[in-house]
Amino acid sequence: MRSPCKPKTFGLQGQTKQDMANHTITFTGENINITVTVPTGTLLAEAAQQAGVEIGQPCGGQGRCGRCAVQVTEGDVRRRSTLRLSENALSRGYALACQSVVESSATIFVPPQDKIERNLTTDRIAAEISVPTDYEYPLYQTVRRIHLELTPPSMDDQTDDWSRLQTVLRLQSKIEYISAPLALLRKIGTILREAEWCATAIIATDPDNGSPAQLIDLLPTHIDEFSPLWGIAVDIGTTTVSLWLVNLITGQVQSQVAEYNGQIARGEDVISRIMYASKQGGEEMSQRVLDTINLLLERACKRAKIKPHQVVKATIAGNSTMIHLLLNIPAASIRLSPFITAINQPPILCAKEVGLNIHDNAPVDCLPGVASYVGADITAGVLSSGMSMSEQIVLFLDVGTNGEIVLGNQDWLVTCACSAGPAFEGAGVVNGMRATTGAIEEVWINGDTYEPGIRVIGGEKPKGVCGSGLISLLAEMFLAGLLDKAGNINLTLNTKRVRKGKHGGEYVIAWAEETQHGEDIAISHVDVDNLLRAKAAIYAGFTVLAEQVGVRLEDTAKVLIGGSFGKYINVEKAIQIGLLPDMPWEQFEFLGNTSVRGSYYALLDWRSRQQIKEIASRMTYIELSADNTFFEAFTSASFLPHTDLSKFPSVEAVVSNQANN
Amino acid sequence: MPIEIPKDKWPGSIKTVTIGATAAEGGTRAKTITIGGQNTMPFMHFENPISNTPVIALEIKSRKPEDWSALLAEVWGDAMDDPARWAKMAEDSGADLIVLALTLEDEPADAVAATKAVLEASGLPLIVWGPGQSDIDNELLVAVAEATKGERLVLGLCEDSNYRTIVATAMANDHLVIARTPMDVNLAKQLNILITDMGLPAERILMDPTTGALGYGIEYGYSVMERLRLAALQGDGMTQLPMIVTPGFETWKTKEAKVNEGVPAEWGDWLSRSIHWETLTAVSLLESGADIVVLRHPESVSRIKDAISELMMV
Repeated sequence: MRSPCKPKTFGLQGQTKQDMANHTITFTGENINITVTVPTGTLLAEAAQQAGVEIGQPCGGQGRCGRCAVQVTEGDVRRRSTLRLSENALSRGYALACQSVVESSATIFVPPQDKIERNLTTDRIAAEISVPTDYEYPLYQTVRRIHLELTPPSMDDQTDDWSRLQTVLRLQSKIEYISAPLALLRKIGTILREAEWCATAIIATDPDNGSPAQLIDLLPTHIDEFSPLWGIAVDIGTTTVSLWLVNLITGQVQSQVAEYNGQIARGEDVISRIMYASKQGGEEMSQRVLDTINLLLERACKRAKIKPHQVVKATIAGNSTMIHLLLNIPAASIRLSPFITAINQPPILCAKEVGLNIHDNAPVDCLPGVASYVGADITAGVLSSGMSMSEQIVLFLDVGTNGEIVLGNQDWLVTCACSAGPAFEGAGVVNGMRATTGAIEEVWINGDTYEPGIRVIGGEKPKGVCGSGLISLLAEMFLAGLLDKAGNINLTLNTKRVRKGKHGGEYVIAWAEETQHGEDIAISHVDVDNLLRAKAAIYAGFTVLAEQVGVRLEDTAKVLIGGSFGKYINVEKAIQIGLLPDMPWEQFEFLGNTSVRGSYYALLDWRSRQQIKEIASRMTYIELSADNTFFEAFTSASFLPHTDLSKFPSVEAVVSNQANN
Repeated sequence: MPIEIPKDKWPGSIKTVTIGATAAEGGTRAKTITIGGQNTMPFMHFENPISNTPVIALEIKSRKPEDWSALLAEVWGDAMDDPARWAKMAEDSGADLIVLALTLEDEPADAVAATKAVLEASGLPLIVWGPGQSDIDNELLVAVAEATKGERLVLGLCEDSNYRTIVATAMANDHLVIARTPMDVNLAKQLNILITDMGLPAERILMDPTTGALGYGIEYGYSVMERLRLAALQGDGMTQLPMIVTPGFETWKTKEAKVNEGVPAEWGDWLSRSIHWETLTAVSLLESGADIVVLRHPESVSRIKDAISELMMV
């Protein structure tokens, strides 16, 4: 067996020359064969990054998730932590890339990484977005294209070029004050002369603040007034980034594209990412998400046959952490008490300084958020869900790693955030995975034989279970009697599928010969516990919120579920495990990505933009960690479906029916 | 001017639980103990008469414990070497019930032998605790339960991660169980649901909500017990079980009671300090709704007896 640690050397004398030297690390694997030279003390993960070898670190390099395991095939490394590796794996030379230090030359085998294959929502499968009926470009768009007819200068009129431009804008378009970036000022004279004093100006106004208009560009041609003017609406999700390319003249969405957030490789939840960013990776995190956005931009523009720099406006929604990381504003204070952001309402920035590959001078509008854990994704979501206009009380849930919850109507809005953890996204569960090809997305269990039926994304052999699969698995196991109400697996049942595993009791969903990787896919008691905690956090979140304002859940007219995850939840199963309240199914409505839609509305219409700001200031944020109420509700919800069964009459009926049969 | 004392009308009441079975009932006990049945907060006699008096159990062990305080070793003397003599002595000290705690060293046969010896030596109803390690608890308690079928012993401790085996054997052999949860109203309720879901009637479950000694978190335990009792009286069926608590165990592990070395002189006499600690802890728990207090020192038994009769005076 390979020794996990090298003998320690004490004191300076003990330090050999070799310790100070550089070492060559060779990475091998599928389509990988690259050697880099790094100094002693370099982390394997850093060496891999230097070599351009992608190794996922969902926990942000804390050694918690074990997903960055690599195999040392020659030489050795010093393993600071092997917490996530089995004896067997250690004996075969495995090491965690984020926890292993280079002290000599070595060859490292990189196992194939989890690839993201699911088709994300794109315009090819997405429903067409209808343009808001009252949208009128000349009235409500802040970016405008103005055709200018200037009087050429002469000996009688020696006004300078810039004043000439200002005068015509004032006379023609009533724009009193205008400013322009230096780079553009340098070109004005040339452009005006080239255009023979008939040019097109693209101008951003700010009807909200009354600050000077901004000259984005000056074009030496006359452009047809009906030809498109492009903008993008973006939502930066912790997991998925979505981008809509929009024709600002008609308001139509030209294309919708989405891609997984490039930051996932450095942490699956916001906390891991903040930790990674505050250690050394602020710039890297910003670049990763910019790369994702720019890639999407290119994809969308290609489809519309335009160039990215033709895009002259961007609106961005996202949770507070995502916005901070995008702008590379230190986010560390978000995760530390008293949980304060650096900025909730960023001013309008310019594309070049942000790093978006659209027009250099295009305004980039990061929408306003409320607090550390209630960001612009929620304010935008509230706008697009229409709940802020509703007469009846609406409950809006954004089910994800960070569960965000809003309750209210046209008169009041309260909000809270509860960290549900990534269990429903497949992390923190041994055989969990994201919703990509090979993920079990639905499970049915026979109550007599305990044999499961499964549906797999892509229809092939399964690799693991994704969030919706876990919800349906939990519900089915509970109803079949495989789980008691506390989530203990009943090992006394007469089936080979329940057994005692490494993490206590477990239930086998697919036998080794039925899976892609040739190993059993099972769910353990620990996994069930994680899922119970996730669902309890969300349930407790909205019950406490409702209690705080004295509203009974039964009095909410509608439960709106947002987030890209929301599309896959099976309401019946989600109620059976006590994730969603026991209400008639028709009261639930899935809205998909409400955040990008809100971002789109804000991109088009300054009144919507103003409404989001107004929503942000109207929302009352309730900090759940301030007292014991949330914890009480959480413990009481950490049960199937709930400690107070009277809250789930429909489930009680099913359970007692099951028991009588 | 006459003052009218406001009275609460409670929709719920505590379940009545009987421990032990006499010869006529299929066991060998000289008497049975019945607890529970209240439909008022503790000792609020003016609201509703209190039907059953709280009772005292003394804890003995199947083998002489090496880690108990010297004061306990002194008072029990040689009896600690023999569970039967210890049990008899406990009965003579005025206990209403005996708690026999098994140890990790016991084999199932030892556990059965100790239990039988105790049943022989004392006519009091008996509670048997496993040593507190799930697999061994299950092994020992199943053997004991089978060997004492019909005695209506109380088997402990069921916890949320380990209750099935104990509940199953209690159901099969006509015994009762203790459900222990760590100081939380919801967790207590959840375990009671899990146990009754298996088919054991609530009238055969005692709950141990866990407590701390005076100065060691008793306030938290006190308020959890009070809240459980309030929920029960308000009609929540799964909290309407009598409560058993262990002030003896909690007290005798505190520095104040256990040792006398390196403590300030102002703390006073060791023995009286320790007895005060145990009795104050026990009385506080009675005030918050305990139906059975499990003690360790015989002197505390007589003091708590006095306290209970005073509290029960109408």
